[in-house]
Amino acid sequence: MTLGPGFSVLRNRTAVAEELRRLLPKMEGVRKAAPIPFGLAAIDRYLPQGGLAGGALHEIVPEPDALSAAFGFVVALLARLARVHTLFFVVPAYGFRRYGRLYGHGACALGLDPNRLILVETARRQDTLWAIEEALHSRAPAAVVGLIDKLDLRLSQRLQLAATDAGLPLFLLRPAEILQSSAAATRWRVDALPAARDRFGLIARARWRLMLERCRNGRSGEWMVEYDHVAHRFSLAAALADSALPRDANENSFSQAG
Amino acid sequence: MGLVLGEPLADARAKAGELQLHAVDSATDATALRRLALWATRYTPTASPWSAANGADGFFLDIEGAAHLFGGEEALLADLSARLEKNFGLPARIAIADTSGTAWALARFHAARNCILPGGREAEALLPLPVEALRLSPETCATLRRLGFKTVGALLDKPRAPFAARFPAELLCRIDQALGRIEEPLVPIIAPPVYHSLRYLIEPIITQEAVIALTRRLMQTLTHVLTRDDVGARALRLSLYRVDGAVETIDVGLTLPTRNVSHVTRLLDLKLEAQAAMHDAGFGFEAIGLAVTRAEPMPAQQTELDIQNHPEVPDEHSIERCAALIDTLRQRLGPHSVRWFTPVPSHIPERAEMLLPANASNPAKLKTTAGAEPTEEKPRPLLLLPQAEPTEVVALIPDGPPRRFRWRGVTYEIAGAEGPERIASEWWRNHNGHRSAEPTRDYYLVEDTGGHRFWLYREGLYERETAAARWFVQGLFA
Repeated sequence: MTLGPGFSVLRNRTAVAEELRRLLPKMEGVRKAAPIPFGLAAIDRYLPQGGLAGGALHEIVPEPDALSAAFGFVVALLARLARVHTLFFVVPAYGFRRYGRLYGHGACALGLDPNRLILVETARRQDTLWAIEEALHSRAPAAVVGLIDKLDLRLSQRLQLAATDAGLPLFLLRPAEILQSSAAATRWRVDALPAARDRFGLIARARWRLMLERCRNGRSGEWMVEYDHVAHRFSLAAALADSALPRDANENSFSQAG
Repeated sequence: MGLVLGEPLADARAKAGELQLHAVDSATDATALRRLALWATRYTPTASPWSAANGADGFFLDIEGAAHLFGGEEALLADLSARLEKNFGLPARIAIADTSGTAWALARFHAARNCILPGGREAEALLPLPVEALRLSPETCATLRRLGFKTVGALLDKPRAPFAARFPAELLCRIDQALGRIEEPLVPIIAPPVYHSLRYLIEPIITQEAVIALTRRLMQTLTHVLTRDDVGARALRLSLYRVDGAVETIDVGLTLPTRNVSHVTRLLDLKLEAQAAMHDAGFGFEAIGLAVTRAEPMPAQQTELDIQNHPEVPDEHSIERCAALIDTLRQRLGPHSVRWFTPVPSHIPERAEMLLPANASNPAKLKTTAGAEPTEEKPRPLLLLPQAEPTEVVALIPDGPPRRFRWRGVTYEIAGAEGPERIASEWWRNHNGHRSAEPTRDYYLVEDTGGHRFWLYREGLYERETAAARWFVQGLFA
C-alpha cells in the first residue's frame, strides 16, 4: 500500500500534476482573487492560473527608453480589469519627472477612464512604499500601480504578502539597471516595437515586445503583442517585416515564438 | 442728505448724485439676523428673530427672569446697546415692554433710541404713535389713513364692532396683542448642535499614544451624538490644552462624512506624527477636546453584510473605503499629493487637463462606473512632459514632417510621421489684459526606427508667423 512517491508519479504522471496544480495556489494563498487573463491563449497558458494572478506582485521592467511602453502595457492591463473601481498610481515625484506625468487623455486613448485614476505623488522612497502598502491594505482600489527605483528580496516579499492579503494586483514598474531576485509572481520586460499600421500607413495599434522573464509556477516566454484599445483586446502581432501577411492567420505559428 | 426709505431710485440719485447700488440679498440678511439673534442668547435663552411680517430687521428677547442677572432692566439695556455698537457697529433701537407688540412699536417709533416701559402702561404709550406701530399690512394702514385714523390713539377709543366688520382680522388681533389681551407666542431660535467633547485630566499626559487613546474615547462619545442626528463629520479639530496654557490644534478634513472611530483616530495619529505636535508637549496636556467643525448629513447605513458584490458597480462600502484611503494618504503625504484628473475644455494639450487635489470638491467622482470610450479621435500621448522641450529637427521642407530629431543628446531617425494636427492658439484667452499671441502648433506623431513614439510639434506657421520654426517634444506614446 505504501508506494513510493516516485513510483506513483511514474504511474500516473498527469493525475499527479493536476493534483499539484490544484494544491499549489492554495498554499500560496492567492485563490481568493480572480486572475486577470490576457484573453490570448498563447500567453495565458504560460501563466499558472490562466492569467495574471489577481492577488500578487507583478514586476514590469521597461527596456531602456521604453518606459512609456511599459506604462502603456500596465494601462492596457488595468483597462481589462473586471472590477470598475478606483485605481491608485503611486508615483515618486523625484525620479519620474524626467519622463513627464501620466496624461489622462492619453490613458483614455488606451481605453482607460481617467476618472478612475488617482495619482499619489510621494517625495521620499519610504513614503512611496508606505502609500503602496496603505492602498493595498485598504482594499479599496481595483489595482495599485507603483514606480520604484530598486526592489530587493525582502521588500518584494513584503509587498507580495500585502498584495496577497488584500487580493489585489500590484504592478510595480522598476528600472532595468539593478535587477535582484524578488518574490514577485511574474516579471515582465517590455520593449517598444514599431506600431501596427492600417492599410493607409497610419498608426493603428500600439505594439509591444513582452518578455515573461520569470513566472512562478509557470514558464517564461516572449511575444509580440498588439493592443486594441477599443475592444480592450490583446492580439499577437503579425510578422513585422512582412505586413502583407494576414494578421490573424499567423497567430498560431507565432504563439511559440518565445 | 434727505434720502427717505422707499423713495424711487431716480429721486434719490437726483438728490445725492453719486450712489452705490446693491441689490437686496434677503437670504444673507436673514442669515446675519439669525446669527445676531444667536449671539443675543447670551442674555436669555429665548431669542426670536423677526419674521417678514415684523419687518425682518430685529429680534425679540424674552428677558423675563433674566434681567436681574445683568443688574436689572436698565443695566441689561445699556449693556446690550453698548455691545451691539462696539462688537457689530450697529446703532440699535431697543425697547423693553410687557408685550412684544408694544416693544416693537416703541423700538420703531419712540422718540428716544432706548426706552423702558413700566408694566401696565401699554395703551398710554401707544396712544401718540402712528397706526403703522401696530404691525399692520401696508394696505390696512393706507385704508386707515384714508379714513382719518392717523394714530393708534384714534383707534383705541372707538367701538370694535365696525372695525371687525370692515377690516381684516389682523387689525383687532394686533391691537389685542399690543395691549396684552391675547397671547403672542415667540418662536425661539434653535442653536445649531455643537458636536464637541472635552475631557479634563487629573494627571497631564505627554505621549502620543495616550493622546490617541483619549481621542478614541472622545470620538466614541461623539459618534453617539452624530448617529442620533444622522450626520457625519467632514472636518474635525483636536485641541490639546497644555499645562502652561498654550493650545495645540490639529485639523483634519475628510473626503466623505464619517462616524468611523478608528478611521478618525488613525488620521489624527498620522497628523500628530507629521506635525510633530508632540515634540513640545512641555509638562504635558491637561485637557483634550475634539470638535466636529463641519458636519454633513449621513444617512444610516447597513455597515456589514457579506453578500456577493456585483463587480461592475462600486458599492457604497468600497467608495467609503476609497475615501478613507484618500484621507489617510493626504494626512501623511500632504493635501496636494493625492490628485485626480479633471478634464478642462481647451485645445492646448497641456491645458486640457488639470490635476486637482482629491478631496471634498467632488466626492461623486468616486462613484464612476462607466468604462472609458476614447472621446478624442486624435492621438494623445500617455506621458506628457512637464514642459515641452526644445529639440533640433531635420526636415526636408520647412513646413513638412520631421525626418530626424535630436532630443536629450540622442538622435532619433524617424521611420514614420503622422500629421500635422494643427492646434491654433486660444485667442479668446487674454492674460493680464493683453491677448496672448501664442504661435500655432503643428503636431506630429513620429515613430523612430526602434518603435519609440513621440509627440513633436512645430511652433509657428512657416513664413506667416515665423521665419525659423522651433520644434518641441511634448509627450511619449505607449
